[in-house]
Amino acid sequence: MLSRFTFKRRNLLLNNKLFIIAFFFSVNVVASNTSVNDSKRFKLHGFVSQGIIDADDSNFVNDNGKPSAELTEVGLNATYQLTESLRVAGQIVYLDGGNRYAKGARVDYALLDWTAFNNEKWQANIYVGRFKNNHWLYSSSRDVPFARPSVILPQSIYFDGLRDISVGSDGVASKVSYNLAKYGDLDWQISYGVSPISTKQVTNLLSEFAQGSANQEYDAQTSLYWHPELSAWRFGISLLDSKFAYKQANTSNESLLFDSDFTFQFYTLNALYEGEVWEFSAEFYQQRFMMDGFYSTTFKLDNIGQGFYLQTRYKLSQRLTLLARYEDFYLDKEDKKGQQLAQNSNGSIPYYFGFHQDTTLGLHYDITSNFAVRAEYHWVKGAGRLSPIALPNTVLNNSEAWQMWAVQLMYWF
Amino acid sequence: MHVIKYYAFVFSILFSGLLPLESSAIDVITHSEVKDTSLTSLQLRRIFTMRQSRWSDNTPISIFVLPSQHDIHQRFSKEHLKIFSYQLNRIWHKLTYSGLGVAPTIVQSEQELVQAVINTPGAIGYLHDTELIKNWQLPTNAIKEQPVNFEGAKVDQNTVAEDDNVDIHTKGVVNVIQVYL
Repeated sequence: MLSRFTFKRRNLLLNNKLFIIAFFFSVNVVASNTSVNDSKRFKLHGFVSQGIIDADDSNFVNDNGKPSAELTEVGLNATYQLTESLRVAGQIVYLDGGNRYAKGARVDYALLDWTAFNNEKWQANIYVGRFKNNHWLYSSSRDVPFARPSVILPQSIYFDGLRDISVGSDGVASKVSYNLAKYGDLDWQISYGVSPISTKQVTNLLSEFAQGSANQEYDAQTSLYWHPELSAWRFGISLLDSKFAYKQANTSNESLLFDSDFTFQFYTLNALYEGEVWEFSAEFYQQRFMMDGFYSTTFKLDNIGQGFYLQTRYKLSQRLTLLARYEDFYLDKEDKKGQQLAQNSNGSIPYYFGFHQDTTLGLHYDITSNFAVRAEYHWVKGAGRLSPIALPNTVLNNSEAWQMWAVQLMYWF
Repeated sequence: MHVIKYYAFVFSILFSGLLPLESSAIDVITHSEVKDTSLTSLQLRRIFTMRQSRWSDNTPISIFVLPSQHDIHQRFSKEHLKIFSYQLNRIWHKLTYSGLGVAPTIVQSEQELVQAVINTPGAIGYLHDTELIKNWQLPTNAIKEQPVNFEGAKVDQNTVAEDDNVDIHTKGVVNVIQVYL
């Protein structure tokens, strides 16, 4: 009976997915029939991708460690030019990443874009509404398969467990660009807002035992990019400051966890080189995580974590690109090997929850201008970037070393 | 062995036919009412990387391009914009899929590209010059939309071939823009 029910439920989910994909393609047909004159004001774009992913010896994707089709990303966006300086834009995405983040459809961004200033030297835009985080190298395109470098991004910075709160905010943002003539272009961005926090996000962040509610008080970010004229290099810096609060549930069965405040600060430095066949990118970062409460009313934590990744891509031909990346991250710079973590928890949290190292090899093949396939393999050491964070799952993540592969097909218009 | 030689011969014939096309120039074209008749290569790059969105008379620019894997597009980005087409893709994808801005309109063929530039005020695009000449014999429906003087345009094009410094401003189908370093 139970298995029949599960089968039915699965069928329903599959139908759901098929419905979303069918809807996507019907919209695509409408979009391709839009005439050139309409396209000046109104534009419709989208993407659909499906893959297979398998992570052994970790709960990164699922709990049973079997290959999974929980690698679906569908998006549809529209932009409409209201006046010469005002534009509205929005995107809806449907995501299924297994345990990685909350599954389902969501409004990815919905904003009003005001071009406040625009001449040969200056460009200034103000965005109001729900906007994407545009401060790190791949933060704004983390859900757009063909616009990011790999199926799974470096988890230490693009941590899926924190996706919903780092992908964007509801508030106000601004981008100011200035042309320094022969010295190139400067892009300065600033944003302030809050992100809605779903139940799944609370579970990912804290644990399934956290029955209370969490909310973000604010998220303030700024970044500066410099692109020297005619140079293959680009350099950037970003700063983030955010605050969250957890309110314990009013039920008697939650006596384990208490009201608490969390502060998260994050600084990054990045460099990008884009040559004809070689490409290099790197991001270095430091995070400060402060906790006040949660485990007990008097509990306090102030940790500084650090990490980086180095990535290279080589274009073997116009269509085939190879990727290699190394990533290294530890949650506490005073405890890089996690010994202190294990000791403080009396051995209940193994040392390897204190770090995350990932060596990745991958390839990308452009079948046409808007249809591609990608495959990659990850060799991971450590469980420092597996959810939940506050109360780690040491049963499913019982191995220091784990591996993962993924294959993904993607189409966009 | 014979067979290999035969195929090598056939291939060399095929590719020798392609060579003159490969090495010929790509022209930057604009809608006939666009007042700017020349651009610096810096301005051109700023337009296609979406950093400059208006012509000198403050009218908005509409950009049309071919698909990213198209040979002409690949050559245009490398030779005229001095950046690689994958870099353009990244800039455009970021704008399109993160809501930050608007990217150029992609059309499927050079024929469509000429038509789009003819029909859209403020439009800019590019074209392989031999193709451009071919496309002057556009289907009658395209010509009907905007009366054009094909002969006049052709004469202008020939003048360019003889002397690169001549400012070209065709009256009719499209303008061919002079790009300075």
